[in-house]
Amino acid sequence: MMKPKLIVHRKEYLNALRVGWFLAIQHLRRSGKGTTSLIVFIMVLTFLNLVVVSGLLIGLITGSFVQYRESYSGDVIVTSAAGRDYIENSPALITFLESHPQVKAISPRYARSVQILGTLNRNPNKNERPNQIGARLVGIDPAREEVVTGFSKFVRYGEPLLAGEEGYILMGANLLKKYSSFADANIPGIDFLGEAEVGSRVRVIISREDGEPIVKDFIAKGIVKSKVDEISTRFFVVDNDLKRLLPVNKEQLQEVAILTKDPAYATELVRQIKSFIGSYAARVQTSEEAIPSFLRDIETTMGVLGNALSSIALVVASITIFIVIFINAVTKRKFIGIMKGIGISPLAIEFSYVFQAFFYGLTGSAIGLLLTFGFLRPYFQANPIDFPFSDGILVATPDGAAIRVAILLTITIIAGYIPAKLIVRKNTLDSILGR
Amino acid sequence: MIKAIDIGRKYGSGELEVTALQNINLEIKDGEFVAVVGPSGAGKSTLLYQISLLDEPTSGEVHIGHVNTTHLNQIQKTKLRLHELGYVFQDYALLPELNSLENVALPMLMQGLSRFGAFQKAEQALLRIGLTDKFYSLPSQLSGGQQQRVSIARAIAHSPHILFADEPTANLDSVNARVVIDAFAELNKEGQTIVMVTHEEEYAKRAHRIITLKDGEIISDKKS
Repeated sequence: MMKPKLIVHRKEYLNALRVGWFLAIQHLRRSGKGTTSLIVFIMVLTFLNLVVVSGLLIGLITGSFVQYRESYSGDVIVTSAAGRDYIENSPALITFLESHPQVKAISPRYARSVQILGTLNRNPNKNERPNQIGARLVGIDPAREEVVTGFSKFVRYGEPLLAGEEGYILMGANLLKKYSSFADANIPGIDFLGEAEVGSRVRVIISREDGEPIVKDFIAKGIVKSKVDEISTRFFVVDNDLKRLLPVNKEQLQEVAILTKDPAYATELVRQIKSFIGSYAARVQTSEEAIPSFLRDIETTMGVLGNALSSIALVVASITIFIVIFINAVTKRKFIGIMKGIGISPLAIEFSYVFQAFFYGLTGSAIGLLLTFGFLRPYFQANPIDFPFSDGILVATPDGAAIRVAILLTITIIAGYIPAKLIVRKNTLDSILGR
Repeated sequence: MIKAIDIGRKYGSGELEVTALQNINLEIKDGEFVAVVGPSGAGKSTLLYQISLLDEPTSGEVHIGHVNTTHLNQIQKTKLRLHELGYVFQDYALLPELNSLENVALPMLMQGLSRFGAFQKAEQALLRIGLTDKFYSLPSQLSGGQQQRVSIARAIAHSPHILFADEPTANLDSVNARVVIDAFAELNKEGQTIVMVTHEEEYAKRAHRIITLKDGEIISDKKS
């Protein structure tokens, strides 16, 4: 006995859906275009609020991750293990990487902590500190570095280093009094090099535990500036120049940035490198792993902020839809009564309002998706937001957007259903007579 | 067949209680054309609402065919209205966003007819009441008389057993009112049961039976 009843029930339900759809279509076709456009516009803004606001907040940090990878680490970065001065068996590692089929390019780097003296033409006055700072001096192969990071683009003033060129140095802008945005803050313990310009001479001093320090003068060929600290807070010379200064371990590297043919291969490459040189010989990380944890924390915080703002947008959207549908239903209360009077089921009438709400949500989301992926994301990719420590991009993925569309539609349907239900349940005759 | 057994309708409660109908007993047989008349406030429309299931009497029973409607819930009453009853309202009560054809087809779509079937029957109903060139006009593009004819077409298209009309000529000029009454007479000739509330004697006389109400009670029930 239950089965036929269920079939009848299902048939009625489907028919209510069909009539609801019919009523919704006619309403949308013939209702005021201005009102429909306004509601859809609100839904577009809501969608953008959901996707773009959180996407930009996260994008400010993600931009720094991207820059970190593109400007410094490559897909995989090998650095000295904790407590070690260099990567063990560096020459063998380089040979391994150069012959690896998945490695597109590598940039071996030598690095050493040095003192840089900026004023060479006079001695400091009495009670005057010398114009000197401690910094990291990095020896690079300009050609290889160019392939991995496009290093020459960071040279804002002067000229980039050339392969085989000796006696020249590039200075990180954040270490120079004239170019650092922190120089005017007078932060205790942080020194900046004064009087250092393109063309001026600076002295590199490498201290030795067992003797006189090694000293060599360089001509400042350029100033490098990037939002990645590993570039702006270092000095750079050609690798052979630095190797020549080092008293020992001349062939042992401190960093190797590796570009893979397929970024997705990075994790596997890390595993292979660890297997090749041993777990304790170096720290081997994907670009993602090498990102400082505080940036990860900021990313999480931005995500939470984005979600909070999105939630507010959702509440606003649901209230908007509720009000729109409620007013729509209240002004049509008489006609809802008439429909019930002539036998149209309350369910069909409710469906018609739900379909209308769904239409607003779907159209708004579709336009929002088009705007996001067709215009905003490419726009922010080409014109990133100039944030002090990153170039902010818009992070919007199809998966994330799909989830937000689903949330928006769910909220919209609920916000459309409730007011329709409230009006439809009113007494039929009272609705017809408007009392 | 409609049977009203001792129905009454009261509004409000306590000192504000108003009795709109009391002790109404009547039976309307299939194929009858009944006019309900009486002065304003006599309870004509209230009676129509009770026997057409748009309202619930506070006492008594209404039977439609063999169904005692007293114990039906709202959903069941809506279904009964959809399949068995047709309505013509004083102010036409057409849905403003649907054209004539769609207004007429709507109850049949709800009955489960295919879109093609519903629209075909809607066309036939509109042709039957003489609206040949207004299929795709919205109510706002129609005169009062035309709207009332669309309303009649909607009421009869799904072949209801009983057609209820609440002051169907009240908003019409004499020419259009006559067209509407002629349409009712024609429908009744074809076997349609009609219950019409009117305050105009001239149109009431077109019915076969006239029920007169005063102060919520039937004071006469006679053949026309």
